[in-house]
Amino acid sequence: MATKVFMEALSPTMEEGRLVKWHKREGEVVKAGETLAEVETDKAIMDLVARADGVLRQVAVTEGQTVPVGNVVAVIAAPGENVDTSPAVAPVVSGSGGGRREALKDSPTVAGGGIARSAPTPVVAAPAAEAGRLRASPLAKRIAKEAGVDLQLVTGSGPGGRVVKRDLESAAGRAPAPASVPTALAPSPATGRESFRVSRLPSPERAEGAYQDVPLTQIRKTIAKRLATSLGPIPHFFLTTEVDMERAAEARDALNRQLGDRGKVSFNDVIVKATALALTKHRACNAWFQDDHIRYWNEVHIGMAVAVEDGLITPVIRHADLKALLEIGGEARDLAEKARNRRLQPSEYTGATFSVSNLGMFEIDQFTAVINPPEAGIIAVGSIAPKPVVWDGQVVPRRRMRITMSCDHRVIDGATGAAFLKTLKEMLENPLAMLL
Amino acid sequence: MTDRTIDVIEAGVVPYAEALEWQRSLAAARIDGRLARDVILLLEHPPVVTLGRNARAGPVRGPRDLPVFEVERGGDVTFHGPGQLVGYPILDLGGYRRDLHWYLRTLEQALIDALAELEIPAERNPGYTGVWTRGGGRKIASIGVHVKQWVTWHGFALNVTTDLSHFDRIVPCGIPGVVMTSVERETGDGRREKDLWSDTVAAVIRGFEAAFGVTTQESSCSRSETY
Repeated sequence: MATKVFMEALSPTMEEGRLVKWHKREGEVVKAGETLAEVETDKAIMDLVARADGVLRQVAVTEGQTVPVGNVVAVIAAPGENVDTSPAVAPVVSGSGGGRREALKDSPTVAGGGIARSAPTPVVAAPAAEAGRLRASPLAKRIAKEAGVDLQLVTGSGPGGRVVKRDLESAAGRAPAPASVPTALAPSPATGRESFRVSRLPSPERAEGAYQDVPLTQIRKTIAKRLATSLGPIPHFFLTTEVDMERAAEARDALNRQLGDRGKVSFNDVIVKATALALTKHRACNAWFQDDHIRYWNEVHIGMAVAVEDGLITPVIRHADLKALLEIGGEARDLAEKARNRRLQPSEYTGATFSVSNLGMFEIDQFTAVINPPEAGIIAVGSIAPKPVVWDGQVVPRRRMRITMSCDHRVIDGATGAAFLKTLKEMLENPLAMLL
Repeated sequence: MTDRTIDVIEAGVVPYAEALEWQRSLAAARIDGRLARDVILLLEHPPVVTLGRNARAGPVRGPRDLPVFEVERGGDVTFHGPGQLVGYPILDLGGYRRDLHWYLRTLEQALIDALAELEIPAERNPGYTGVWTRGGGRKIASIGVHVKQWVTWHGFALNVTTDLSHFDRIVPCGIPGVVMTSVERETGDGRREKDLWSDTVAAVIRGFEAAFGVTTQESSCSRSETY
């Protein structure tokens, strides 16, 4: 059943509105509540919101066009649904602009079955703007012929309602299938990939030795090859999360009060420790890419990016998961000092299994870091700054921090990285979780 | 009029992109009911040019050293910078009137009342949304709003001690020849800048309370107080 989209009144006296911007295109899938377009009056812009799920069809108004209130600007139809093409004009609704127009929804002509691949579909109404004459680009005609699609049933989004290539792809839901790596580029929701990935590794309790080498499976090899050639030597992808740091700040303040002259815990120490602990729970992210195998580390060694005069070096805090905050802090300061004085030994800047780059002290809110091979991941830590957020139904200022994780897609998939980042966020938001 | 309370968040200097993200997430929370009360963000931006939906191409003159944002508010091009009080009300107009013209006029009234308290006669300029002084000869505050499901964001920008020369590099509001002014220029009584700022903030909050018939509860969310 199709739902018409009407020009709405932005105020009771408004008679017409100017549509300034479409957010959705003809043929695009829309969900109820999503913004379809923006309408302007005076110096105010209002979103026209979808009142039903479906596919946006019959966009009758172009950007910049002025339309009387109550006129139809588009139709939301079910995928493949055929809709009436007569210029639909709804009765103008008077009264409060907030009035909903469910009563005006009607059910235009419906053709069965969406776009048929080869089986003939009964044509109920000829949807093309000019019945009888088929308007389609030569490429669209060829694709339709090859796929056995009836062009009469496709609504064109090209000039003058011409059917073009993208209409066939979107309308038929036959987006070109990725050639040989069907799942590598976009993690599909709810595939359980994370548990799959981790289940191939022995649990940490049973693991022996410093690491263990797992041969690349065929899909891993293909992912490695294809993504590397398409994106560069290391196929990076990025995940960002925002962490509420109020409780971490409180915990840090309390620790520092207790320590007095005996030392200070920095946010960086807390972040390094939490990262190391989160990695022990997500070994799939604590790994090296090694050409024909992936080395999953049972030990956690955190590289810590330090800016030096002529560049950057990442000294390593070994076994950071096993060290106390003060130990991490002490080592971090020593290593940073050595790095700045060019006194780092190779053993002190090699062998990290994962890295942390923190530019929070430079008031950088968010950034991305480049992976330090052969490691498979690095997190970029931004500044801790207050932000008004919704907390228990109220707006309150909370200290927040953004973390962006760069992942080597040959090793880490989207869901795997996201699961690690979620654990890290939970540990920072509730520092007691680090004791679990 | 009502016993409605609005949370006023004073946020200090906030980069434009950051404040835009705050507004969008607060508005989304207000739309889906996670946020129980209306909010006004009061802040300043580092120098930035923004283009509303009405902006024509190429309105920025001079050196291209300012970031430019094209955003979903109504109106044309404008400048934000230090010394300008920016207000972003996140209001559910369902609780007032579902009427964007009423909302624009009431925002203007709030600022006109605030300026009256600062002894600056200000008024509307019919056909030109915003707040003006000297019989419509100078523009002191710009307004551009957005609304989704009757929840507002974006808002107003009132020049307090703004360096007005920045406006020479654009055609503010798309009105050629418009003269911009500020609270500082209109009062000209040599009050200390800091007092002028805090007096203006207080007057705007009171103006908002009177025009919208609300009470306010203030809190601070300023970066300078973090560490």
